[in-house]
Amino acid sequence: MSGFDLCLSARFSNILPVRIEQDRPSAQPRSARGPARAASLLLALLLGGHGPAAWASPPAGERVEADLVAEPAAIAAGRPFWVAVRLRMLEGWHVYWRNPGDSGEAPTISWHLPPGFTASPIVWPTPQRIPVAHLVNFGYTDETMLLTQITPPGVLAAAGGVNIQADVTWLVCQRECIPGAAHLSLGLPFARGGTTPDNGPDNGPDNGPDNGPDNGPANGRASSRESAPENGRQNAAWEATTAGIFAVARRAVPRPAPWPARIELERDWATLTVDGAPLRPTVRAAYFFPNAETLVRHAAPQELSIMRGRLRLRLERSALSTTPPTDAGGVLLIEDSAGSARQAFALTDVAIGEAPPPPQGISLWAVLQAASLALLGGVILNLMPCVFPVLSIKVLALIEQAGGSRQQLRRHGLSYTAGVLVAFTLLGSALIALRRAGAEVGWGFALQSPVAVGLIAYLLLAMALSLSGVFHLGSSLQGVGRGLAQRGGLGGSFFAGALAAVVATPCTAPFMGTALGFAFTQPAAIALAVLLALGLGLALPYLGLTLAPRLIPCLPRPGAWMERLRQMLAFPVYATVAWLVWVLGQQVGPAGLLAALAGLVLVGLAAWSFNAAQSAGGWGRRAALSGLLASLVGIAVAAAGLERNPGEPASGAPSAAARHEPFTQARLDALIAAHRPVFVNLTAAWCITCLVNERVGLASDAVEAAFAAKGITYLKGDWTRRNPEITRLLEKHGRSGVPLYLLYAGDGRPSVLPQILTPATVLAEVARLPDPAQRRGSLPTPARE
Amino acid sequence: MQLVARRTVLAASLAGAAAIALDVALAPTIAYQAPQARIGEPAPAFALSDSNGKSVSLADFKGKTIVLEWTNHDCPYVRKHYGGNNMQRLQKKWTAQGVVWLTLISSAPGTEGYVSGEEANKLTLARGAAPSHVLLDPKGEVGRAYGAQTTPHMYVIKGDGSLAYMGGIDDKPTTRLDDLKTAKNFVDAALTELAQGQSVSRTTARPYGCSVKYSS
Repeated sequence: MSGFDLCLSARFSNILPVRIEQDRPSAQPRSARGPARAASLLLALLLGGHGPAAWASPPAGERVEADLVAEPAAIAAGRPFWVAVRLRMLEGWHVYWRNPGDSGEAPTISWHLPPGFTASPIVWPTPQRIPVAHLVNFGYTDETMLLTQITPPGVLAAAGGVNIQADVTWLVCQRECIPGAAHLSLGLPFARGGTTPDNGPDNGPDNGPDNGPDNGPANGRASSRESAPENGRQNAAWEATTAGIFAVARRAVPRPAPWPARIELERDWATLTVDGAPLRPTVRAAYFFPNAETLVRHAAPQELSIMRGRLRLRLERSALSTTPPTDAGGVLLIEDSAGSARQAFALTDVAIGEAPPPPQGISLWAVLQAASLALLGGVILNLMPCVFPVLSIKVLALIEQAGGSRQQLRRHGLSYTAGVLVAFTLLGSALIALRRAGAEVGWGFALQSPVAVGLIAYLLLAMALSLSGVFHLGSSLQGVGRGLAQRGGLGGSFFAGALAAVVATPCTAPFMGTALGFAFTQPAAIALAVLLALGLGLALPYLGLTLAPRLIPCLPRPGAWMERLRQMLAFPVYATVAWLVWVLGQQVGPAGLLAALAGLVLVGLAAWSFNAAQSAGGWGRRAALSGLLASLVGIAVAAAGLERNPGEPASGAPSAAARHEPFTQARLDALIAAHRPVFVNLTAAWCITCLVNERVGLASDAVEAAFAAKGITYLKGDWTRRNPEITRLLEKHGRSGVPLYLLYAGDGRPSVLPQILTPATVLAEVARLPDPAQRRGSLPTPARE
Repeated sequence: MQLVARRTVLAASLAGAAAIALDVALAPTIAYQAPQARIGEPAPAFALSDSNGKSVSLADFKGKTIVLEWTNHDCPYVRKHYGGNNMQRLQKKWTAQGVVWLTLISSAPGTEGYVSGEEANKLTLARGAAPSHVLLDPKGEVGRAYGAQTTPHMYVIKGDGSLAYMGGIDDKPTTRLDDLKTAKNFVDAALTELAQGQSVSRTTARPYGCSVKYSS
């Protein structure tokens, strides 16, 4: 901050001579600040280095200080140059961006330029989000620079200069708003003969005869003034500070986004999708400032999801416009946890509506490219901890059976491949269908379900235990050789392939992201083709070995080492299980985690029992089999527990404290009929907002006490699984999802609480309810007399 | 036999996992929404005290066309429309034809535009305004229910209780008095169309002005 102050002081002390020359009080009749500004200038002059203190805030009575700054000291014919209208606000006041948000008005600049000069539209700096009560404005505090590029005509007089003028209007608001205006003018000399301190690449020989080797400080961008000016110390210092001003101004302008973007409009939603490989999962936050004023509800939260290099923001659409905007662009602010810096990108040419079909000419090439990337990704996937053990087992079996018939080997290879491809087709079709239906799912969507995560963990643990030698699954999983001998292992190979596909879903390989990201923007057939390429890649190493059995002799001879290797291979699988348990921990909390871990113990028991049943006979076998059966039942119960538990961990103890009843429409109707106040909380385990609200807004003692004091019945409806009653209640209130908080005052007319709850909002709403005694006497509430 | 059983178990668990994954994925994604007044839908009902302390409810005016005007007399945009006699002229023109004109003040106590009933009456008199009622909404409940953002922010409700127009009063989002001459007044247009038994052609516009000074 002090550095910034220093910069200001340098800027002002050096800019003064020029400013005085530029400021022609007679030329700004509409600026009420003439005298005030002169006084400030004088003050600044007197105070020297302390001048900025007087300048840091606008003169008394003024909330905005406006001035006009040009980047070059002199201008040349046909060479565009930059000027900036600088607005400096009193602390706590703000002016607005091009889309001012829920209220306010953008500044305007109307230029009065000499003949032949043209001005570009304003290049707007990245705005801030300025909340006012429950509304949101977009604008600037402290200081902002509105850059404009001015292009002089191709021919200018050999000497002299021009005067450019701007009528600037703005609205400045704190809580109240005050319109302001200023007439600004600036004299700019033409570049003429003399030493040229910054004759950079921009103003070289092409500037014509009047731009000799010794032309004065000419126009140009900051980049063209890297070398220090040589003529006149004062001028040099002035230039340095001007360059500084414009460097700061340029930093505030969003960079053009290098990625394609589109917005899909539904009745209630506008979904912004930005495709771009640089968008990593490390993006922590993103915010979209739309250029259009009636596209989205500015105050609504913007829901971010990042998937395979694609950033998606779900924006609540404003009811203020039903037609698509002419300009769907805006500024995308991205916060990356890796860089930790905020970056602003200007999104221009944002496509509206459905994803445009890929251009036909490029399409085939792009598909081939994606398919080969997918193939490569699939091959690499074999080395990932999810799949590597499965593949290794198949290869070990292959080594054991190197002597088998080629035809049989080939059949096994093909069965395995078919298993992989069928599984990929099923998963892919389901995924495509879901996306068609509007669900926000991506590859690996199974992992969104704790039960699926749990089941995959169980499956992998069983596999790992088998590798460790706790039990032997026989031909179906490992023994392609035994299967060969028995002529019955083809199904086993098929399922091994399917298993490989399923266990692969939690893993990502290099190249996969790009390929799948592309695939899911394409028609179903192309998406499936890319997916199948991925599957083929996955199956390829094994398929290759079986199709080219000549390679098998290249593999090591079978021996005792294989058993050792098999046991070693168990550990990456155990590691994968550990990771999945960690994922589960995120999803279900400690209580659910206990169920998951109990399930894992039971998998161990089941494996042991299975082995015992295989080796024992008679009663022992029966005991072992019943142990196996019991543990399988236990596993199922534990898995089901995962489904039931999720809602609880997050609400945890507090939910037990704030005692609630499960929601049913009948119960609600009965309470309303009895004129009892009711609080309805419609929530779901997968709704993070709901869980946070419950913990933050509803779980405090104060809220519980307030509920008790007013005799409020708390009904909690859990929408984690489908529940038509809850869906109907949601629809009745125009909602398509949770959370929804309703407070019935006893008259059957609910007030809808905001979707972001704080104890204060809940308490304020509850405080409006009549006291229990009063309620019995008279029904009306303040809101409805 | 054993082999078949094992395969069946494997197949079943795979199918099970896929089915559960599908099930979960089919569940709606996180979605929520704050209430928004919508064109064609019933206008949110309310009852408020007017500047004379009388309770006024939307239901009192069943069958009539109703205009809601959010205001804050100190807001420069409101001052444009009252200073230029634009708002008063509209009020007089349409109340004379049986339209109910409700001016609402949602400024919280202590904020700009907040007035007592008495002060509101003085303002009406001083400005020569002609609303049917000035309604006081210091808690901002009605403002929030309608999603009123700015002063002025206008709503037109049809006789059947549905919302016919919402948004800015005209197409010139400025504080310049001169702009009144060239502005296209959307409220006047909507009321004219309704009076002629037509449907409103322009149902929304960007509301412009100062933010409503809600209690935080």
